[in-house]
Amino acid sequence: MSLPELSLHGLERPDSLGSVCERLAERAARGEKTVLLAGGTDWFVERHVAPATDGSEAELVLDVSRLPELRGISASGDTLWIGAATTYLELRRHPVVAARVPLLPAMSKDVGAVQIQARGTLGGNLATASPAADGVGALAALDATVHLLSVRGPRSIAISDYFTGYKRSVRAADEVITGFTVQMPGEGSFQYWRKVGTRLAQAISKVALAGVAEVSDGQVTRLGLGMVSVAPTTAFLPTVRALALRRPLDRIADSALDAATQADVSPIDDVRSTGDYRRHVSGALVREFFRTLRSR
Amino acid sequence: MIVRLEVNGERRLVDLPPLTRLLDALRGPLGLTGTKEGCGEGECGSCTVLLDGDPVNACLVATAQCEGRSVTTVEGLGALDGRARETGGLSLLQAAFVTEGGAQCGICTPGMLIAAEALLRETVDGANRKPTDTEIREAVAGNICRCTGYQRIVDSIAQAAALRRRVSPADWVRENLPFAKAEGTRGLL
Amino acid sequence: MSNVGTSVPRTDGPSKVVGTAKYVDDLSMPGMLHGATLRSPVARGILKRIVKDPAFDWTGITFVDATDVPVNVVALIQDDQPVLASHEIRHRYEPLALIACDDALRLARAARHVTFEIEPLPAIFDPRASFERREIVAPPDNVFGRYRITKGDAEAALASCEVVVSGTYSVHHQEQLYIEPQGVIAWFDERGAHVHGSIQCPYYVQKGVKKTFVLTESDVDVVQTVTGGGFGGKEEYPTVISLHALLLAKKSRRPVKMIYDRQEDIEATTKRHPAEIGIVTGCDRDGTLRAISIHVLMDGGAYVTLTPVVLSRGILHAAGAYRWEHVLAEAVAVATNTPPNGAFRGFGAPQTIWAVERHLDKVARQLGMDPLVLKSNNVLRVGDTTATSQTLKESVGIGECIEKARTASDWDRKRALGPVVQGRKARGIGACVFMHGAGFTGSGERRLKGRVALDLLLGGRVRIRTASTDIGQGTETVFSQIAADALGLPMSQVEFLQPSTARVPDSGPTVASRTVMVVGSIVEAAARELKERIDAEQAATGLDRRRAMDALVFRAMGTAEHVYDTPRDLEWDDATYRGDAYPVYGWGCDIAEVEVDLDTFETKVLGFWAAADVGKAIHPTHCKGQIEGGTLQAIGWALHEQIVWKDGAILNGRMTNYIVPTSLDAPPFTTLLVEAPYSRGPGGGAKGIGELPMDGGAPAIAAAIEHATGISMDNLPCLPEDLFERARKGRAA
Repeated sequence: MSLPELSLHGLERPDSLGSVCERLAERAARGEKTVLLAGGTDWFVERHVAPATDGSEAELVLDVSRLPELRGISASGDTLWIGAATTYLELRRHPVVAARVPLLPAMSKDVGAVQIQARGTLGGNLATASPAADGVGALAALDATVHLLSVRGPRSIAISDYFTGYKRSVRAADEVITGFTVQMPGEGSFQYWRKVGTRLAQAISKVALAGVAEVSDGQVTRLGLGMVSVAPTTAFLPTVRALALRRPLDRIADSALDAATQADVSPIDDVRSTGDYRRHVSGALVREFFRTLRSR
Repeated sequence: MIVRLEVNGERRLVDLPPLTRLLDALRGPLGLTGTKEGCGEGECGSCTVLLDGDPVNACLVATAQCEGRSVTTVEGLGALDGRARETGGLSLLQAAFVTEGGAQCGICTPGMLIAAEALLRETVDGANRKPTDTEIREAVAGNICRCTGYQRIVDSIAQAAALRRRVSPADWVRENLPFAKAEGTRGLL
Repeated sequence: MSNVGTSVPRTDGPSKVVGTAKYVDDLSMPGMLHGATLRSPVARGILKRIVKDPAFDWTGITFVDATDVPVNVVALIQDDQPVLASHEIRHRYEPLALIACDDALRLARAARHVTFEIEPLPAIFDPRASFERREIVAPPDNVFGRYRITKGDAEAALASCEVVVSGTYSVHHQEQLYIEPQGVIAWFDERGAHVHGSIQCPYYVQKGVKKTFVLTESDVDVVQTVTGGGFGGKEEYPTVISLHALLLAKKSRRPVKMIYDRQEDIEATTKRHPAEIGIVTGCDRDGTLRAISIHVLMDGGAYVTLTPVVLSRGILHAAGAYRWEHVLAEAVAVATNTPPNGAFRGFGAPQTIWAVERHLDKVARQLGMDPLVLKSNNVLRVGDTTATSQTLKESVGIGECIEKARTASDWDRKRALGPVVQGRKARGIGACVFMHGAGFTGSGERRLKGRVALDLLLGGRVRIRTASTDIGQGTETVFSQIAADALGLPMSQVEFLQPSTARVPDSGPTVASRTVMVVGSIVEAAARELKERIDAEQAATGLDRRRAMDALVFRAMGTAEHVYDTPRDLEWDDATYRGDAYPVYGWGCDIAEVEVDLDTFETKVLGFWAAADVGKAIHPTHCKGQIEGGTLQAIGWALHEQIVWKDGAILNGRMTNYIVPTSLDAPPFTTLLVEAPYSRGPGGGAKGIGELPMDGGAPAIAAAIEHATGISMDNLPCLPEDLFERARKGRAA
């Protein structure tokens, strides 16, 4: 659908999450497509780029941007809840997030610029299932749990189980992403975010790495990594994690890290960068993560 | 779909297909062509407006999503400082862009001003402090300017921050822009 | 009273900051249709047939193809480019047909129901292959232009020089990326053809309309609306979009608006010419430069457009800002099956200056010299002769530029320190020394005879009528300053008429760094003439000034129209390319300090010192704004910007992946104005500076990267991927 075809879409503003689920269920049963619209920072861009069609039926849009159930950030003990319609700007401004999960505001600051941060949401970032999603990289490093809801009931899955392929996921057509829970890293944890983008703002990642580590008695006791734009989906770097977790930090050699990283990434050439460069930078960022961790 | 929203302090009502971009609602039925389109995909920032106080790209916002919300465009900036008639409708921030070279071709200027205004509200108005050079650059990092190299934009915003809440906008503009004529220029002949 | 030399408030500033300035897309006409262009999906081929789907409802849709075009050429230097291709297709995105409709959705859908039957032909994308005529894509020989400059005997001199260095350098495409896309509104009425739009050169458009529609001057009015940047991109291209809109308007009998989508603008409009430059130089062991031999191969794209002129300016700047006893410079531009390359700030010079500056950095390395010392020792001074054997008589401020930039940047200390490596980051500093010819080349102004008119208006006001457009650079303000001072009037009494070919004389195009220097001096001359009339009127009548001005208006004595008084002592030979290539030059020294990440090869520009000899800064703030803006375009060209091609198609035609610098990527600028006045410049000696700042940025950045990392880039761009590949090859070797 192209830009002029925006005029063909219907829009509904369900007043509760329950009615969103009901609408989705009805439409999915009839095989009708439905768009859940939050910040629109991806959806409108896609409309802009796509060629016109001849269709008279446009997808129905459900505006979920202001549903109270999808909004808000709250902490309960060490568990942090982030509603799916939480914007990057809200993540940047939240005091608990800033204190306990500084990775999230650091990542948020690198998404587009303030105009995109004010609209783009963490749930939307996951929904597109793009490997270039910075927010998902951070959620991967935090080993977040994704919460989904449909008329069939809620379900929660580990973010590492969410993706089934390039821009594909386990989310069913009638399901809504409601939010995320994260076990907040402990005091003294190490959190890392580095984005290598096409420029310093308004950039899509060529490679980005989010990382979380806790170290006790020289041993890595918690390790989460999420890498962006180096594989068909967000990369969880399982080989690197296996290499380092519960290992003495000073025995993790750079050469082993390099080999593990290269086993975990499969980057491609595209208009933004080259596969070779991305491989190189992937290794460098993982090395930097551990170098910084060691030097703390 | 009928959408009610507040635009530059006035209640407005538009009847449009709900997914109409806010940009098109502003430039079309609302008659506010000060907001510009440079790319249509949230990259250039020329269409930046404030939505409930936060800067957003109007090309990526559905008009229906603005129901009951407030929108500020470049046309609404001058009124902020009051006594608009005496100042040719210019706020201090707008005047600083004229005197310090922040505007060249002017096509990015409306969006740039809106992004800067959000920063000044947060720092000068909200925290009673001037923004740093880095904060200024971050605040307008979503607004591409191809003319200036940004230095004079940064300088313009810094000057506006220094003057804000310290001088009377009307007096300052009268003194520094003696022949400000902000009326529309160059329509069709 | 003096306005010149003062940073007065920008006259068109207030309307721009409150949003009332009307750009073309802010305007509409009753009954207006929206137009769209249907373009070639192949890079080269023969258009056999255009098929309009009979199943589609074409009601209300205007369709135009080549059969509707009265004279199917875009009038420019050569008449080789069709308005709409009728048979041969030479590039991807070439316009094949046009449609218009009052409904955007119907228009978008109609576009899908036109198909083109095209017999593909082999295309050439590599200029070298074109030069070798592996395929003739632009008859007779693929060549769009050739120049040769000789001074002394370079070949013989090189054979006897103590130190001979050779190298090959290349530069890539660059998109102007003005933030306001191309656009016009066009219509016909009983008075003839009308075009209003985002246009640098209204008279160029008028020329094109006259030719295509077989009209006379008085039948065509071309009006410039407030223009959101051009940088050369709106020099020749607006003729194409104007002709398209007029064709649709003629057939539909309705006004037609055409505004390019950003992607269409990036894909279809002109770009900076890529070039490959081979250089051999000879010098003494102490670094005294003796001889240079230069070979330039430029990629013109599919049609001639302005390529010969770009090539000419390129070769005229190829020897850099230096003294050479012996010069041989040869340049050729050839056709390829990519969209035509065209005007972009610098106009060929940034391409060749990149090469000569990178080359001299290489020479300095071989000699073990500080490159800025090598450049400074050999830079042209008053009395020296250029590559075209022009003797520089005045206004050569380069020595002061170098000293100012060197001191302000702390060059000596930073350079001597060598690269500063902290962790995985390395800092370095680099310099570029350059000059840029101001105004048209050779006898251009003499042929052009630019004109300006000034009118006294009742009430003691004066109005400037000129075809020089303000596309952001500040023409309106600067001309008003010049006129106000020459007339002894306050700025508030001066008006600037919106350029319209029906109402302003032809001042020549807004190009070539000529607006302030050449057209500004015509404004000044006309204003002086009016002042003399007013003085005489006062002396004769004893009236006060305002009444004397009114009296002149009543007697129809209120208009002064002036033609450019071309400097008579300039001698230029087009046949031998020898003589006074330009009346005067702008001079510059750029110093960049960068930090390169040794892991990711990202380059951050920490500081940039730009010293420029502008003759006289009529408006210091605008002048600095020009320098900084041009410099950032050059930095973007070096570090971020790149067109990604595949089979003649552009893969990154969007702002999300054609990357220009943001405010965070831009360095803090220290801009140092040097004023070595030009005796014929207005306002006490102003020279053209529009293009100068595009020349120095890229070589300065590359030199700084080399200082920081040892990676010496001969080819643009210097994206992280390029530095990475270069470092990897270096390690492998």
